[in-house]
Amino acid sequence: MTNSTEQSVTPASMELTFEVQQFLYKEARLLDTEEFHAWLDTLTEDIHYWMPYRYQYYRKNQTEPTVNDMAYYNDDMHNLKRRVLRNDTGTCWSEDPATRASHVISNIEVEHTANPDEYKVYSLTTVNRNMNEDEEHLMVGHRTDILRRVDGQLKLAKRKIILDQNIFMNKSLNVFL
Amino acid sequence: MSNKTDYHQFIDNEEGWVDRRIFWEEEIYEQELKQIFAKSWQFIAHDSMIPNANDFYTTYMGEDGVIGARQKDGSVRVFLNSCPHRGNKFCFADEGNTRSFICNYHGWSFGIDGKLGALANEHVYDEGDIDKEKWSPRQARVETYKGLIFATFDQDAPSLDEWLGDFRWYLDMMFDNDGETEFINGGIKSYANSNWKFGVENFIGDAYHALWNHDSGLKAMNNGEGFGPAVQDGSFHASVNGHGWEFGTDGYADVIIGGSEKWKNYVRDIIKPKIKDKYGELRSNIFGSLASVSLFPNISFLPGIQTFRVWLPRGPKKLELRIFTVVNKNMPEEIKQEINNACMMTFNPAGVLEMDDGENWEGNTQVNKGYLTRQEKLHYGCGITREIEHEELPGIIYKGQFNDANQRHFYTRWADLMNADSWDDVPTRYKPRHTTTK
Repeated sequence: MTNSTEQSVTPASMELTFEVQQFLYKEARLLDTEEFHAWLDTLTEDIHYWMPYRYQYYRKNQTEPTVNDMAYYNDDMHNLKRRVLRNDTGTCWSEDPATRASHVISNIEVEHTANPDEYKVYSLTTVNRNMNEDEEHLMVGHRTDILRRVDGQLKLAKRKIILDQNIFMNKSLNVFL
Repeated sequence: MSNKTDYHQFIDNEEGWVDRRIFWEEEIYEQELKQIFAKSWQFIAHDSMIPNANDFYTTYMGEDGVIGARQKDGSVRVFLNSCPHRGNKFCFADEGNTRSFICNYHGWSFGIDGKLGALANEHVYDEGDIDKEKWSPRQARVETYKGLIFATFDQDAPSLDEWLGDFRWYLDMMFDNDGETEFINGGIKSYANSNWKFGVENFIGDAYHALWNHDSGLKAMNNGEGFGPAVQDGSFHASVNGHGWEFGTDGYADVIIGGSEKWKNYVRDIIKPKIKDKYGELRSNIFGSLASVSLFPNISFLPGIQTFRVWLPRGPKKLELRIFTVVNKNMPEEIKQEINNACMMTFNPAGVLEMDDGENWEGNTQVNKGYLTRQEKLHYGCGITREIEHEELPGIIYKGQFNDANQRHFYTRWADLMNADSWDDVPTRYKPRHTTTK
């Protein structure tokens, strides 16, 4: 926790920003190509992968969701591995034929944090999912991540996803965002 | 009467089939809105969702938007969410706390009791132009069962207690096993391009699909281990007034789906002994076993997994699913969160079991685009001769939880209501043991 105030105002270098971008693009490719075990390797052991419920409130009633509320995802590594295991069973009928997904990652901003090994990263994920004959579903989510440098490599330590949709407008959320 | 449609033509409980057109035709759907959703007791909210005066939650009864609101005296009112002036919704929030609702269009305001109050620029109305009492949104009848708030717009409908009937014998083990229940804060809403009845009938009796369809989901939650073989001994279907509970008596199969050792131990050490004391051994064995439940017309839950949901109709080919998590108020916070996470992992649009269900129900529905396809019948004949009398279990009982019995009785109740001109036309098809009916 050295000199956090100074670090928080230091802009991320082009080099760091580029490194983070490449990390997020690679992650997107691993998800699009269903390389879920390789994706798990890009996460820290203490990963928190969170997508809270979303309701619309009057501005006067607006509240922030907590981790104790209902959620689409509120996963640690154990639960993320369970989701990956489902795809590995060979009996995951709804994923055979496979879902086709494209992650477009944009609006990337990188900030230093009080911890010199951790960066706060904002990004927008736009996922086009096409499945079965002709089903198309667009999901746009605002991500707030914590990336941590572990043995020189960036890893995802925290992710919070806030989807634009109020009612999730499809039968399943079968892609990681 | 002569040219009136007889809806029993769409089901046959002798031959065991259902006509696919009830999952597709617009005219049948319109009749459902009138005969099922404008008459039935429907779930509005759990008491814990609107605990304080001026709390409200918006939902639908059929396709009629309604607001459920906690009054200053602690009671709940349910009224149409539509301004009597030009019709716009006057509340667009999902939930919140407010002293009044004000319509965006002209500024008509409504109290938390749903009554029309001040109008913006009210002086443009002359004395006698409007009787505010008369021009307030329609109010529903509201009754509660163990924290669950129900409403109906039918003034002639039987009481909620009669509507639930002997099904309360079963409901008690879910909603009163160790004091009051509550819902985890928040909820998940999602669409599926499925007829609403496919969700309901799945939960009302379809243990059968779990073994095949959810093999991957259970393996994910249970360290790679799937379901055992289907057990028909000591497992049952129970149907009361179109509600249905299918269940085993093995004790823990549903709890195991949740994948939490802590919750499983809590069921063993706390919940089951309480149920045994209060309701006897049989029900303590039922709770937590492989089971699923639906309340007519569109409420479902899983005892032991603790997901609770409503299937709101959105036309014949689409539904809105609203998902909640039920816990006991007195549970330690840690157990509540184990249950919340288990429901999230399993029964939610991203859940490892639910992801497979939506696919099935959309497929069931959308194939009916085909003119010839929808002339074909669907088979509902499993266990058709297996009805028994049981000394303890109330309702219409079938042996073996792998069975279409509850589904058949759901559609029978559906047809009874679709045909009925009045409540006198609606037969009580089970022999009540614990309920006095009208």
